[in-house]
Amino acid sequence: MEATFERTIDALDGLFAFVERFAAEQALDESALYAANLAVEELFTNLVRHNAGGTRRIEVDMEVADDRLTIRLKDFDVDPVDLSGEAPPDVSLPLEKRQPGGLGMHLVRTLFDSLSYDYRDRTLSVTAVKNLEDSHV
Amino acid sequence: MFEASRASAALITFMGRLDASQVDKARMVLDSVTESCTIDFSELDYISSAGLGILLSTQKRLSESGNGLTISGMNRHIREIFHIAGFEIVFKIV
Repeated sequence: MEATFERTIDALDGLFAFVERFAAEQALDESALYAANLAVEELFTNLVRHNAGGTRRIEVDMEVADDRLTIRLKDFDVDPVDLSGEAPPDVSLPLEKRQPGGLGMHLVRTLFDSLSYDYRDRTLSVTAVKNLEDSHV
Repeated sequence: MFEASRASAALITFMGRLDASQVDKARMVLDSVTESCTIDFSELDYISSAGLGILLSTQKRLSESGNGLTISGMNRHIREIFHIAGFEIVFKIV
């Protein structure tokens, strides 16, 4: 199931409606639905933020095959960027040492079995894959 | 959709979905908090890192005056998100 969305935070309602339709079609359980919503939001807002001058719509593709949920977002006409090396936050730190930020990708990496980036021909793709047998949120 | 209401000086209720498009509504309410306060999550369905960020900022600000937020009524999905984020050591959770 595939759709494109305008690159604005205001597109999130449409994104969530898209995820809900997909989840209903695939009979995803509540845990998988929560994880899917979270991944789509975090990955979408990350792409919007890292390509602030972009004008193209962002493509979102979701599928379930062999009991694995795959979510892929593509952004077009993107300057070279490497998002794969972002250090995860240290979530064991006490309040006084914690800083807001960096949690989004940490949540996706924890909830999904893999998170990968691909950049070619000025197109940035990010793909999250979750084994639905271990759905735990 | 997300709504935040302040029932009293010490009790705030969050309802709906706290995502990146709704976080300014939460910020408006939380910026007015100056003393220890409970946030009732029992009608909150969803939170993402945007919501976590404003909660953490508020907690850091309140801690400077010896105050803090208590979170009540989390559903199991949000409780897991708090666990992954390491927020169980940052907030009092009841």
